[in-house]
Parts: sequence; structure tokens; C-alpha cells
Amino acid sequence: MSSGKSFAVLGLFDSADALVTAIPKVREKQLGGLEAYTPYPIHGIDEALGLRRSPLGGMVLVMGVLGAITALGFQYWISAIDYPIVTGGKAPWSWEAFVPIMFEVTVLFATFTAGLGMLLLLNKLPFFGHPVLSSESIKAITRDRFALAIEAEGEGFDAAAAQAALAAASATGIEVLPEPDRGPFLTSDYILRVAGGIFTACVVAGLLMYAAVKLFPVLPPMSHMEDQPRLNAQKADSFFKDGFGMRMPVPGTVARGYLPIGVSSQEEAASLVNPLPRTPEVLAMGRKVFHNRCELCHGALADGVPTLTAAYGGKPANLQAQQFRDYPDGKIFWAITMGKNAMPSHAADLTVTQRWAVVHYVRALQRAQNAKDEDLNQAGAR
Amino acid sequence: MRTEASLLRGGIPEGLIEPPLTEGVVTPGSLDDQVLAFPDSRPPRQWYIGLAITMTAMLIGFGFIGYTIATGIGVWGNTSPVFWAFDIINFVFWVGIGHAGTLISAILFLFRKRWRNAIARFAEAMTIFAVMCAGIFPLIHVGRPWLAFWLFPYPNQRAVWTNFRSPLLWDVFAVSTYFSVSLMFWFLGLVPDIASMRDRTTSKVRKVIYSVLSMGWRGAASHWQHYEKAYLLLAGLATGLVLSVHSVVSFDFATSVVPGWHMTIFPPYFVAGAIFAGFSMVVIVLVVVRETMQLKNLITMRHLDVMNKVILGMACLMGYSYMMEGFTAWYSMNPYLHHAFMNIITGVYGWAGWLTISCNILIPQLLWFKKCRTSYFWMILVAVGVTVGMWFERFVIIVISLHQDYLPSSWRIYKPTLVDFGVLLGSFGLFFTLVLIFARVLPVIATTEVKAILPGAQPSHHGDDHE
Repeated sequence: MSSGKSFAVLGLFDSADALVTAIPKVREKQLGGLEAYTPYPIHGIDEALGLRRSPLGGMVLVMGVLGAITALGFQYWISAIDYPIVTGGKAPWSWEAFVPIMFEVTVLFATFTAGLGMLLLLNKLPFFGHPVLSSESIKAITRDRFALAIEAEGEGFDAAAAQAALAAASATGIEVLPEPDRGPFLTSDYILRVAGGIFTACVVAGLLMYAAVKLFPVLPPMSHMEDQPRLNAQKADSFFKDGFGMRMPVPGTVARGYLPIGVSSQEEAASLVNPLPRTPEVLAMGRKVFHNRCELCHGALADGVPTLTAAYGGKPANLQAQQFRDYPDGKIFWAITMGKNAMPSHAADLTVTQRWAVVHYVRALQRAQNAKDEDLNQAGAR
Repeated sequence: MRTEASLLRGGIPEGLIEPPLTEGVVTPGSLDDQVLAFPDSRPPRQWYIGLAITMTAMLIGFGFIGYTIATGIGVWGNTSPVFWAFDIINFVFWVGIGHAGTLISAILFLFRKRWRNAIARFAEAMTIFAVMCAGIFPLIHVGRPWLAFWLFPYPNQRAVWTNFRSPLLWDVFAVSTYFSVSLMFWFLGLVPDIASMRDRTTSKVRKVIYSVLSMGWRGAASHWQHYEKAYLLLAGLATGLVLSVHSVVSFDFATSVVPGWHMTIFPPYFVAGAIFAGFSMVVIVLVVVRETMQLKNLITMRHLDVMNKVILGMACLMGYSYMMEGFTAWYSMNPYLHHAFMNIITGVYGWAGWLTISCNILIPQLLWFKKCRTSYFWMILVAVGVTVGMWFERFVIIVISLHQDYLPSSWRIYKPTLVDFGVLLGSFGLFFTLVLIFARVLPVIATTEVKAILPGAQPSHHGDDHE
């Protein structure tokens, strides 16, 4: 028994039944605040002691809703306002993808409120200076005995009367407890203040960091990738003697689809036979190539009447002329491959197949502009 | 007639009275003497042998992890197009193992299944250890683990934010939330138990440690009131969480367009599989614990019987899911999906597909027989089978779906390397090392919760306003 004023009187009971029976008897004497200490929660003891409902549910609800709003706002602000990136073709502000993280953050906020709110805020733990902890009875309380304590509320606490009341309720091992030791120990207040300080520091540091990056972008973001050694297209480079970054292909290199044609003049080329069949697919390919590469000068009908030529000053061939209608396929192919007069070679741009496809298409244009009566019969036969 | 008479008096019919949850005479005091004595006593020889084995495995794994980090993840078998393999398989596997703990501690708590009280502590501890094992894998999979903090959205010098539309980021949030919540749940349960340990230990050092850990818990009725409320709320929150975590893990796959991954059944299918695998692991560990730590009176055969029933139920759910996977493939009329499914049962890795089906669906059917549910041999056989089967299920989902993608020219056979197996071994070593240490350091049974359900623990009614 330490010196100083007595703070509480505590008595032990052997069973939960005995404790619950004793509470009303002691309570009606109104000697001070009542508190029970038990090894596990006892049903119905809240009503017997007259405890108010725990406000934890409301706290958790508020913090959970706050968590949901925080997560939604944070994700929305980042994804739609501060750093909008289009992913998967979704609008930056489409919120559906934010739901999983919203849920997780809600649970996180609610959990920490429930756990730490219960321990730190409502129960004011940790607190190591409570007299019950250093009492004789604590060993029994956390094991298998049930204690009832009458605690001082204000000045007029009558320890002797409290002892008598507990004895009358058939409590054993009655003990008088001293004042709590409220030294500057590790207490819930202390922990809350430290945690609050750390949290504030983190928030301030984060905002400072954000502002610094926004206002003074001195540090190149993510420099790892652009620092790699490589040759850039169209740029000088000291790696090769001639100082060019881009290289010519090795002499004699043949790209796929660009086999040499194997003839040396347009007359020799007359003997070449178009290897492609006249199918709708081939004609479609030929039309596409013609549209992209030939039409600009030769005109959509290959009649040498385009729109661009007047300004350009050139005089492209009228492919509908008799001379060209009599050309064998090979000579047209030669002209596309090697170029003719002002027309440049298309050998570098069109594969052999594409060139032959254009030949078919040109033939089709010629036939369409110079149709004969038999063609009508053919069309009817189809 | 007697039953009817008791019904008229408002009693419970005999058939519905729950059999006792403990065997023999158990009092709150004897419970403390039995369970809380472990941390104060010297462990037996088998414990040291077990720890030596698991720590060897753990250190081998750490060696391989160190080698991976120092060299780069090219030392694994992962090659195009199988960019995810053992690393992600192990991650999904371990996260899944954790789910049983949360199910037992949270969902069964909400359902008022009082048998959970004796096994909840161990299962929760296994949750935390399993999530720790799981966390290793994404960490080393990123290749430069020292930059893994880039996964979190914080204002940074690179002036970029994370992509909140990526399921991989959802995973970061889901798994870290899961770990925090499980830890909080576990710690809350431990506080009163550690207070009991604080008041019974004779060692001064332990007393200080336990005092700090129990935060000066003194068992006040006003504290219990908030405590019970917090526990109930946490159970409700963890219930939603346990269903969401593996769903989010499944989104990693389901939101992609890989044939075999892009299915709406994935979230429930993954959650069921996780609970399935987790319960098997809990059965394996509990059998060892109840035999070696003489806890047969607290973890009774009835507990194991009930858990085996859960495993059986989950096995049937898995069977349904597998069939639904096949049905989805067939009904989709999508040739890629057809191919992906047929690849599981007839492809190069067909053996893995059939191993999964046998271990997860066929072998657990043994549990229909009460004899198998209450026999160590059969329940361990099933549990080990399920553990192996569930690992291979993730192998099937990840590797088989990836190794033949849309582009036949890039198809390749995946072969794991020694390092892959070494890291997997290490994760098992870490898990069982933590389990062994936990078994000797903290109360393996939630004594407070078991005390509250012992016969006569609660006051009988006095005809008050409780009715």
C-alpha cells in the first residue's frame, strides 16, 4: 500500500455470475464510479454498470466515408487533372477504374480507426501507470477472476465505506489502490502527438516536393532512357569515319520483294510476262498503288490530265494513247521500275509484285476507256 | 416428447445443442497454464530440428534471391512470351494461402461459428506470414527492388504519377491493405493474451516486452466494450477485404486480353481457390501443432472435421469453376479461347492440367467419408494434394496461357531454372520458420476468446431485460 490518497477499492469474485450479481448491490450505494476488470468480455455487464454505447461505429463510418472520398478525389485529380494519360482508350475522368483502390482505402481508413481509435482514443492506451496494473489482483484478473472496483469521483471518496460495500457483496481479496501514476511515460497522448507530428511533416514534405518539381523543373525527369548510347537518324555521329549516323546498305544487298528484274533495256523488257493473275485482289492492290503514286501526274483515268501538272509544269504521258495501249506489259513495268523522261524510278518504293499489279490496273483503265461492243456481250454473259 | 416440452419452455432441442468445443475439463486457469506456458518453457528437441531445416531452406532461398538481384531476373526461366512464371505463380499461391486465416477470423466470426475461436489465432498468424512470403515475389520481379517504392503515388522528382487504371497498381493497394488489416486484426486479438502473459511471467525482461506489447491492457469492462465493438467492425471490414483481395489479384489476369485469362469468372474462382488452398495449409499446420504441442483437448478432431468439410465444399466449387472455364471457352465460339482451353488438357503441359484437376477435384472427394475427415493419413493426403494442386493451378493459368499466345511464331516452351526452384523453396522456408517461431513466442490459441466460450463463462440470465 503506497502513500498518498486512495484512488479505488477493488474486490475479487470467483465467477462472472457472482460479479454480475454483485454489481447492482454495490451500485445502489453510490460510493463512486464503478468499473469491472475481467479476463474476457462478459455479456450484459455494460447495462449492469450503466456504460454508454460505444461511439466507435460512428467514428468508423465517418472515417470510412472519408477514405472513400479521399481515394476517389486523389485518383481523379491525378488521372484527370494533374497527369492525364489515356489508357485503354478510356477518358481520363472515367471513374470506374478507381473503384478497387477506393474500396481498399476505405477499408484501410476504417480499420485503422477501429483498431487505433479503440486503443488510443477511447481506451486511452497505452497507459502503464494505472494502479490496477501494479495491484495484487492483476495476476488473477487476466487469468480467471473477476474484479469490481469502486473508483473515486472527486474529493469525497470514502475508502472504508467502499471496502465495506464490497465485503457486503461477498467479494474477496479486497484491495485499496493508490492514485494513478501520470508521469511523462509512454502514454496514448504522447503517441498521438508524435504520430500527428509525423503525419503533418509527411504532408508538408509531400506538398513541398510537388511544388518544387512543378515550379523549378531543374531535374530532368527519368533520364535513364535518353542517356543510352545510340545512333540517331539524320544526325551526325563521330562513330564512323564519314561522320554520318545513317549508313548505306552493304553493296549487293537485296531486300525481300525487290529482286532485280534481270533485263537491261526497255526493248528486252518487252519479253517479260506479268506473273500475276487478273484477280479482283490483284486489281485492288494495283488500284491502291495507282491511287497513291501514279494518279497525281497521270490522272485518275491515266489520260494525262491531272490537277497538279499545270502548276508543276510537267507533261506526263497520256497512257490512253494508242502508243501505250500497244505497249506490252513488260515495257510498262520497265518504265515504272527504271523511270522515263521526267518520271523517276519507283523501284525503291514499290515491290515487284506491286509494280506488276499496277500494270494490270493500267491495262484495266485502258480497256475501260476504249471499250468495244464485244465487251458488252462479255458483261452480259457474266 | 421431452424435446417438445423443452421447446415449450423456450429451450433448445437436443439435436441442435452444440457439442462442447473442448475435450476434458478446461477452466480459464488451466487454459492459461496450458497455452501461455510455451513461451516461458524451453522448446523440445524436435522444434530445433524443425527450425534448422526450415531456416536452411530459407537461407538457400535468400541466397538465390540475392543472386537474382545481383545478376538480374534473366537468371530465371522467364522468356518471351512467358514473362510471368514462377514469380507470379508463387505470389498468387501465397496470397491465396493467407485467405483462410481471414476467413476463419472474420467471416466465421460474423457467422458466430464459435469453433473458430480455438484456431483463429494460428490461422491469422499464417495469413500474415503468407502475405509476407507473397510480398517478396512482386518485389524481386520488378528487377530493381530498390526502386519498388515507385509503385506508390507520392510527389516525386520524376514528375510522374502512377497509373490508377492498371490492375497491377490495384494489387499494390490491395495487398498492402490486406497486410495492414490482417496485422491490426491479429494484434488486437493478441493484446489481452499478451496481458495475461505479462502477469504470469517471472522473467523481468519478458515482463517489460509484454507490458509494452499489451499497451497496459487491464481488462476494464469499459475497455472490453470498445474492444468488442472494434473486433466486430474489423471482422466486417476484413470480410469485404478478403473477398476483394484475390478478386483484385485475378484482375491482373482477367483485364488482359490473353486467351485463358480474359474471363469474368476469374474473381470468384480465385477467391474460392484461395480459401481452398489456405484451409489445406491450416489443416496441415494444425495437425502438426496439436500433436507436438499437446493441444488435442483444445483443437479437437471436430475442428479438423469441420475444416475438412469446408475443404470439400471448396473442392466442389473449384470443380464447378473448372467446368465453367471449359463452358466459357466452348460457348464463346472463339477459336483462341478453344485453343487455350484444349491446351490445358491436351497440350505440352497437359500433365500439369490433369495434375491440377486430380489434386483439386478428385482427391478431395475422399472427404465425403467421415472416416477420411477424421483420419490424419487421409486428411494430410488431401491437404498436401490440394496445396500441390493449387500451386499447379496457378502454373496452368499463367504459364499455359502465356506460352502459346496469339502469335504462333513466338510460341515457346517454358523451362524453370534452378534459381526459380531455389526461390520457391526459400519462400516455404521463410513461412515455416515464422510459423515455428510464432508457435514458441506468442500464444498459439486465443486464450481470451476460448475462455469466453467455455461452459459457465457467461453469467446465466436473471430474468432481466435480456430476453
